Amino acid sequence: MAELSIENIAKRFGETEVLKGISIDISDGEFVSLVGPSGCGKSTLLRIIAGLEEQSSGDIRISGQSVAGQRAADRNLSMVFQSYALYPHLSVGENIAVPLKMRRMTGLQRLPLLGNIMPGAREARGTIEQDVSHAAQILEIGHLLDRKPGQLSGGQRQRVALGRALVRNPAAFLLDEPLSNLDAKLRVQTRAEIAQLHRQLDATFIYVTHDQVEAMTMSDRIAVMMGGRILQCAAPDVVYEDPDRIEVAEFIGSPKINILPVEVSGEGRLSLLDQPLNLAVPGANRGVASLGLRPEALRLSGEGAPIHGHVVHSENLGSELYVQVEVTGLEEQVTLRTMPDRRSALTLGTPVALDFDAAKALVFDADGARLRKLRNLSATTSEVA
Amino acid sequence: MSATEPPVTCVAPAAAIRHATKERRAAWILTAPALSLMVVILLAPVVIAGLLSFTNYSLGNGSFDWVGIHNYEKLFTRSTYEKMFIATLTYVVTVVPISVGLGLGAALLINSLGRFREFYKTIYFLPVMATLLAMAIAWEFMLHPSIGMINRTLEMGCGTVLERIWPFMANSCAERFPLWLGDKRYAIWVVCFIGIWQGFGFNMVLYLAGLTSVHRELYHAAEMDGVRSAWERFRLVTWPALGPTTVFVVTITCIRAFQVFDTIEAFWPQGGGPNKSTYVMMFAIFEKGVQQNLIGIGSAITMLFLAFVMFLTLIQRWLVERKVHY
Repeated sequence: MAELSIENIAKRFGETEVLKGISIDISDGEFVSLVGPSGCGKSTLLRIIAGLEEQSSGDIRISGQSVAGQRAADRNLSMVFQSYALYPHLSVGENIAVPLKMRRMTGLQRLPLLGNIMPGAREARGTIEQDVSHAAQILEIGHLLDRKPGQLSGGQRQRVALGRALVRNPAAFLLDEPLSNLDAKLRVQTRAEIAQLHRQLDATFIYVTHDQVEAMTMSDRIAVMMGGRILQCAAPDVVYEDPDRIEVAEFIGSPKINILPVEVSGEGRLSLLDQPLNLAVPGANRGVASLGLRPEALRLSGEGAPIHGHVVHSENLGSELYVQVEVTGLEEQVTLRTMPDRRSALTLGTPVALDFDAAKALVFDADGARLRKLRNLSATTSEVA
Repeated sequence: MSATEPPVTCVAPAAAIRHATKERRAAWILTAPALSLMVVILLAPVVIAGLLSFTNYSLGNGSFDWVGIHNYEKLFTRSTYEKMFIATLTYVVTVVPISVGLGLGAALLINSLGRFREFYKTIYFLPVMATLLAMAIAWEFMLHPSIGMINRTLEMGCGTVLERIWPFMANSCAERFPLWLGDKRYAIWVVCFIGIWQGFGFNMVLYLAGLTSVHRELYHAAEMDGVRSAWERFRLVTWPALGPTTVFVVTITCIRAFQVFDTIEAFWPQGGGPNKSTYVMMFAIFEKGVQQNLIGIGSAITMLFLAFVMFLTLIQRWLVERKVHY
């Protein structure tokens, strides 16, 4: 187990700059997710950490030691691939044993038939077998050891891939979208299991995913990547409640955050659809800005509410109800979260008035940067974050 | 289903049966053309050849006699046919492993190239595309004992250090260079060499196709698992993934090797090379069945040939189903 430090990593493929100076420190035993849309460079970063790809500039340190120029086989990192990448001709047990065989046995000892009579081969095979069955026990795949990967279900293959990664106690685990080939139900279950495994092993995990739910539920910290940069790296609740940039706010959270165009007038007072709000951003430049409201920050209200519209769609998830509201004067629809018992009152076409919780309002300037100095004009002044 | 539960189908049973009969009849009518063609052009000739192999029939004769297993007896007793088996097996056992190995090697090398891939592919594939008969004539010129390019080139080695370290060179310089096509010690190996030269490009193409199906992530997984050498990578990832391709390549090469004919016909149209050392099965079938009009014995060799090929195909099926499908 070890801490990792990634220092100013850049990667160019010809003219295209895929990573533009990524720095992140990962402490021992931490679970860090790299999350972002497709093509943001997260997988490339993971492969650079693994040593499967070489960075154009920057350095990576594992336990303080630079691994520049060290090939993947020598970095003592384990990786779980999206396709699992199990050797199809080897049984589950043999698959898990590969990393141990490659490290603990000599080339001669690994030979198919002759290997058995080489000195030390028998003892090496014995200890490898023990370690394999220990790993299988942790993942509860002991009964599958003699099967071929082709005979396993997706979830079982995924466990075998994890087994192959954890069998040799690596410095850190690198997981590249390991759940994306599983069906929805299994994904939720495996998510919990990987999080448990992390607690059990107390190892450093770097987890790449495009699914923000996975990142939110499993990680100690999330690094939101976009366009080859880390936009924000913080604990899941911080990234959700206190995003630094509008892109982060839009990417994290499902359903997506509602972004409403607002006008900053004199003294930083905000107005929505030409209607002044009880919110001000002292010191902000006049002009357009964006008001971000999570679906749970909105609430149904009566007359005098700032947002008016009518219901165009509703989704009942059983425990909560999401209502799409078409707002008069706005192109984009607004999503509201409410209790399912309100459903009968919110049939299609029903006119609704929406108010929001000023403490949960997120304001971003025209460039997408967060404006943190919010003042609630209706009540006492509140400083968010 | 329990008795109380009604069957789920809603069609009345009688109608359903009528419908099924109709469908079955239509199916037979639709397959009939293909089926009859298959019988007429594939199965019937084999059966007829099988029957003829027990007769002394000649083309043009009005009648024939049944001779029992006489033809087969000849095959296993006469020295000509012993030479036939030796020549055929020598050819197959030499050409198959070497051309498969070279095909694989060339495919791996080409696959590792960034540029010039197409260039090398075309070059290695040229002999496959060329007519072997025409190529054989070119080879005949090159192998000519006195004016041929090969012996001329070898002669340049006389008087150099080669003569001291290579006994063949010393002998040849002292006496004469071999009559490649006229010497029974060399003839079959020359044929083998040309067979390999002509055939490995085809195997290379098949292996190149096989290599595209090797999952790239497996190489990365192997690297993460601590595989450092190219050889280990080949053993752990490439070779197992090429299993199905290899079985196919070996079978095809075997069958093609059993079918070798053009080279021998071009070099020795009068019969099987010096002392029948290159009297391969295909040539024997041609000689007996066509040139000498001995249909009976020709058919017997054909049946034997078919048995070999069938045996190889069955082994291939078995291997594909048991061993290389993961």
